[in-house]
This record gives sequence, structure tokens and C-alpha cells, in this order.
Amino acid sequence: MARSSSPARLVVALSVAAVLAVFLLYTSLAGGGTPSVSPSELATKTGEVSLAGRVVGTPTGDAHGGGLRFVLEDIQGKDKQRVAVVYKGSVPDLFRVGRDVVVTGTQRADGTFVTKPGSMITKCPSKYQAAKT
Amino acid sequence: MAELGRAALIVTFGLSVYALVGGAAAAALGRRRLALSARNALIASFFSTLVAALVLVAGFLRDDFSLAYVAGHSSRALPFAYKLSAFWGGQEGSLLLWLLVLTGYAALAVWFARKRARDLVVWVTPVLAGIAVGFGWLLVAVSSPFDTIPTPADGNGLNPSLQNPYMVAHPVLLYLGYVGLAVPFAFAMGALLSGRTDERWIVTTRRWTIVAWTALGVGQLLGAHWAYQEVGWGGYYAWDPVENAALMPWLAATAYLHSVMIQEKRGMLRVWNVTLVSLAFCLSLFGTFLTRSGVVSSIHSFTQSAIGPWFLGFIVVAVVFSVTMIWLRLPQLRTTARLESLVSREATFLYNNLLLVALCLTILWGTAWPIVSEAVRGEAVVVGRPYFDFFLRIFGLPLLLLMGIGPLVAWRRASLRGLTRIFAWPAAVALATGVALIAVGAGSSVPGLIAYTFSAFVLATIVVEFARGTAARRALTGESVPTAFSRLVGRNRRRYGGYVVHASVVLLAIGVVGSSAYDSVVEGKLARGQSLSVGGYTLTYRNLTEKDAANATEIRAVLGVRRGGDSLGTIQAGKNAYSVEQQVSNEVGIRSDKLTGEDLFVIAEQVNDDGTVFFRIFVKPLINLIWLAGIVFVLGSVITLWPDAREERRLATRYATAGERRERSATT
Repeated sequence: MARSSSPARLVVALSVAAVLAVFLLYTSLAGGGTPSVSPSELATKTGEVSLAGRVVGTPTGDAHGGGLRFVLEDIQGKDKQRVAVVYKGSVPDLFRVGRDVVVTGTQRADGTFVTKPGSMITKCPSKYQAAKT
Repeated sequence: MAELGRAALIVTFGLSVYALVGGAAAAALGRRRLALSARNALIASFFSTLVAALVLVAGFLRDDFSLAYVAGHSSRALPFAYKLSAFWGGQEGSLLLWLLVLTGYAALAVWFARKRARDLVVWVTPVLAGIAVGFGWLLVAVSSPFDTIPTPADGNGLNPSLQNPYMVAHPVLLYLGYVGLAVPFAFAMGALLSGRTDERWIVTTRRWTIVAWTALGVGQLLGAHWAYQEVGWGGYYAWDPVENAALMPWLAATAYLHSVMIQEKRGMLRVWNVTLVSLAFCLSLFGTFLTRSGVVSSIHSFTQSAIGPWFLGFIVVAVVFSVTMIWLRLPQLRTTARLESLVSREATFLYNNLLLVALCLTILWGTAWPIVSEAVRGEAVVVGRPYFDFFLRIFGLPLLLLMGIGPLVAWRRASLRGLTRIFAWPAAVALATGVALIAVGAGSSVPGLIAYTFSAFVLATIVVEFARGTAARRALTGESVPTAFSRLVGRNRRRYGGYVVHASVVLLAIGVVGSSAYDSVVEGKLARGQSLSVGGYTLTYRNLTEKDAANATEIRAVLGVRRGGDSLGTIQAGKNAYSVEQQVSNEVGIRSDKLTGEDLFVIAEQVNDDGTVFFRIFVKPLINLIWLAGIVFVLGSVITLWPDAREERRLATRYATAGERRERSATT
């Protein structure tokens, strides 16, 4: 097996091993990310999640005071569930009724979803083109 | 008008089907005239696509809202330039731009290569035509920009965040980059199909690859600048899937640009190169897929989108085709040259490649993870910024260091004495920089400190290279310093242009690290006359102004800025309320210090009815080096691209003799 002594192969094999090791290290240290759920899936989850939904109703309150209160609804499905959200921090320009947003946080016992400050992301409407129905 | 546009697209589709089928038949059967006809059909498909594009442009300029696409992305009040850029404001127009750029590149590439690489072009034509067929089909049958509706009184307008000079240039540059990667891919596949697997396909497409790569790089920087100035959250890159979509093919293409040098010089890494160029192209398809199919938000929206499944099928075809071709040609791609030492130019380029590909694939993994986990576990799991930042540091910092080492290590086998001689000065400079930085307190961020030490090292190696080359030339010819310097660069454009590009990457690294590891931020609600202090600046909220512009109401908070005892004038931050689009956009205030490259960045997050404003204020050191890096990057690319008559002659002889050798060996 003269070929197996090639340094190039050794380098590639060692690098692949190193990358895998780094990857395992990362996932064991930092965990596997945050689950992304819709309002109807929220009830089955505990702990921190990313909640994706469509803004409905009239947002009230002050995001830089007592908190901005709004309602998120399932984007898809027939039986659309709703969740009340309290949000503090920066509100993206694209936030308004009818838009799809993602907030990260946890659901309290009273059913209100309390977000991490500044965690709101809106989907850019030009890039993530919604399906035409 | 809509009929003309539709007809032109059908003609494009027909021509590309003919170029695909006829071209493949001609190549397989060795029919020269049919091959020429297929090539001409491919070139003609550019002109029919151009007609379709012009019809759409005319639709926008004439406010022809009977076209659903125009009505959906424009309005009468929209300024002229944005009526043009609304062309690519949505899915159908973006696909049309893709096809226009693709057929344009294809026409130019096969035309310029018609003499020197005739036997390759025969096979390149059907490959390029195959890609055009895919996009042509989407535009003709699935997602047409020429659908008509009952004419509304006015259009819906263009998304305000796209009403911006950056969004006129950024998408075009990105597409020039994405689609440009189709050219080296098609030539690689042409080489594999024809069995002419020498490095000629690489040499023929070198300039196309660099053009595409430069456009992709500059396009991303423009996008970052746009995000910084217009989106107004205080950053410029958020590891968003659509951003990663452009970064991944750029990283793969960067790896490819380096590894082809090894093939040109030593004949090694031939399988690796065709793999990389296929990876880069498939990633650019995947990027278009990500941004256009809605798959990122959810698999469920993907299955509802009209083009998603088509696109996925298209990617699968591209991947299967390239893997099969590489597999079939493995015997011809075997190389006799071996890596002789782990400390050599070849080896460092190999490390560079492995790191770039590792970075690219971990980004791919992070980007695709929500999709994969939703498909496998039924629950979309999102990895966030920490994941990407972690891998950027793990793979990016060694890459930065290698950028200083790689170009200076000897080919084949480097000696310890040679290494000490070359790297003594740069290493000393790096150490001194590190110590100095700790002294001024940069030790607050360890990755930042490492990045700056490595940056100093790389810059020092580049300076040493230029100085040594100039000195050697002067000793040989007795020229003056400026003459020797300019001739040195002029006679070795690829090498010294490459160094300039490296310098730009170092500038980018310094800017990114400075603005992310050493920034400061403060926020708070201010009434008139109150102030906030951050990073040595004190800002006092003075008053609120409101004025009506053509298509928006502009509200601005005016703040007085002081640093130390000096007044630095005022800065304005506020919001624009767009009437037609019924949307509000943040308009941030930025004050750049031209001497230090530092930015003061003010966001008026919330303007309350009682006249108070909630501000968020950043100080971002060295951030302007990122934008400077873009200019240096283009400069370096232009140097490497600049036509070189001597090089052309040398290559012409080389391939003439290579061709003869092949013909001789074919006859014996």
C-alpha cells in the first residue's frame, strides 16, 4: 500500500478528523440551537424557543417602556392558534400587522409569551417571497 | 407588450433546448456544423432574453400596471432609478435577470474561447444551454414576469428598504457573481465530457472566474454597507440565510482560485478542482433556491411555493450530473505528482483549501439545519449567531495566518533556514504589535488580539514581498524605485494583484474585529436637552423636525455631538414614513471619523408623541476599513485581470504544443 503513505491523504484525513472534533466540541458546549415553533406547537414546548407567526390585531404599549403587546397567529394551517406576546427592545421597520415575525423567548404559566429583549426578526418580504394563493 | 415579452422568453427557451440537444448530439457524433449552429443558438438566446428584459423595463417606465409584476413592485410616484431597479425587486424579475446574465456570460464565454478551446466549446455549449433551459422553463411555465391583471389605478409600490442606491447595484453584482460561476463550471464539465482533462479549461476560464468572484465579493460588501446604513440595527452582517447564500459560493470559489494554481504549476489536485468548481456552482444554485423558494421560513411554505420543487429538482440534476462526470473521468484525472513535504507551497495551499471548505460547509450546515431538522425530526431548530461566530473564529483565524505564510513558502519542500530568513521580520512585527495592543488594552478580547497580531504578520509579509521584489529588480536593472516597483507589479500581475487582494482581506478582518470585538453601545429615552455618553462622545437631543419628501414623510431628531471639550456639530436620526407602501423605515445617523475610521452610529428607535425619543447609540472603531477593503479588493482584482500580452503569447504556445502532443499521441 504505497498510496496510503501520501502526505496529502494524511493531511486530508487529519483535517476531517479535526473538523469533526471541533464540531462535537461546539455542539456539546453550546447545545444544538433553539427550536423554532408556530403558535399551535407552543403548548408542547417548555424552555426557550423561537416563535414564528403572523402579527394580528392591534399592537399596543411601548417596546422601550412596559413592553409592546401584540398577538401572533399561525401562518399556516386551518385551525389557526393565537398567542399573546410581550416584547421589549428594538422593533424592526418591517414589523406591522399582517407581517411574519420571529421572536425568541419562553411561555409563562398564564399563556403569555415573554421574549428576550431585542430578539425580534422580520422576514424580508422581497427575499422570502410568500406562496401565491 | 406582455405578448412580446412572453414570446421572447419562449424563443429563448426554444433556442436553449436546441443548443442543448443539438449541441450534445453534435459533440457526441463529431458534427462540426451542427456544433457551430448550436453555439450560435446559445448566443442568439442572449438577444431574445434581452428583448424580454427590455419589455419588462418598458413596462416599469410606462407604469404599465396591467402587468401583475409591475403593479406589484412599482407605483407612479416611484423615482425613475427605482423603477429600473424594481425589475429585480421580486421573484419573476430576479429569475429573468438570472437568465439574462447567464445567456450574456454564455454568449461571451463561448465566443472568446471559440479559437483557443474549440474542442472544449463544443461540449461547453450544451452544458450552458442546459442551465439556460432550466431557468427558461421556470420563466415560461412556472413564474412568468408577464402575467397580466385588470389594470389597477396605481401599483403597490416598491418595498422602502429597496428604495436605495445600494439596492440598485447590489443584486446585479450578486447575480453577476452567482451566475458567472456557471462559466468555469461549464468548462470543467466540458473538459470532463470531452475527455480533455488537462488544465486548459482552468486557464480559459481564469478571468471569468475572477470576474464572477470579484462581483460576488463586492456585491456582498455593498449588501453589508446597505444593511449598515439602511436597515439600521447597528450591524452589517447577521448570518441570515440569504446572506450566507452569497457567502458560501464565494468561499468555495476562493478555495478554487487557490487550488487551481497548484494544478497549473504542479499538475496536482485535479479531482479536487473539478469538485470545488462544481461545489461553487451548486452552492450558487442553492443560494438562489434559498432566497427564492421560501424554504428558509419553513418546509411547509416551500412545498406551497411554485418554483421551490422545480428548483430543488434542478439542483439535484446539477449535483448528480457533476458527481457522475467526475466519477466517470477519475482515471483520466489521476495525477502522478505527489505532495513531497508538509511544509511547502502546495501543502499550505492545501491547508488553506481545507479551511475554506470547512468554513463553507459549516455555514451550509448551519443554514440548512432548520430545514434538515424539520424534515427529520419534525421540528425546525435554528442555530444562531454564536454558532457562526464560533466557526468563523475557529477556521477564519488560521486562514488569516496562512494568508501570510502560504505565498512565501517554497514550492516542493521548504528548508528551515529559508523559513527563518523569510519570516523573521514579519514575526517580529507581529509580536511587537501584539505587545503594543495588550499595552493599550486590546486584551479585552482574545480573538480580537489574535486577529490583530495575525493581521500585522500578514501585512508585514506583503510589505516585505513588495520591498524585496523591488530591490531585486533595482539590483538587476538599476531602475529608480517607482519604475522598478511598477514594472515588478506589471510583469507579475497575478502574483502582486493577489497580494493586494490579500491586503484587502486583512483590512476587512481589522474592520470586522474592531467593530464587533471593541465596540460600545448605550441606549435610553431622552427628552429635549437631555444627553447620553458613550465611547468618549456626548450626545444631546436638541429638537425634532418633520418634512415632506416626494414619496415619504421624513421625521428627524437632531442631536448635538461633543467629544472631549470640542463640539463636532450635529447628527440626525429618524424615520421615513412611506405613504404609498404604508411602511416606516429607520433612517440612522452616522458620523465617520476619517482619521481613525471610527463611526458614531445613532438610531432613533422610537419617536413618541410627547416629543421624547428612544435612542440607541453605538461607537464602532475601525469599521470604515471594511468599506476601504472593498476598494482595495477591486484594485487587486483589476491588477490580476489586466490583459497581459506576454502571458497570452506564452499560453498560446503552450496550448498549441499541448494540442500537437495530444494529436500525435492520438494517431500513434
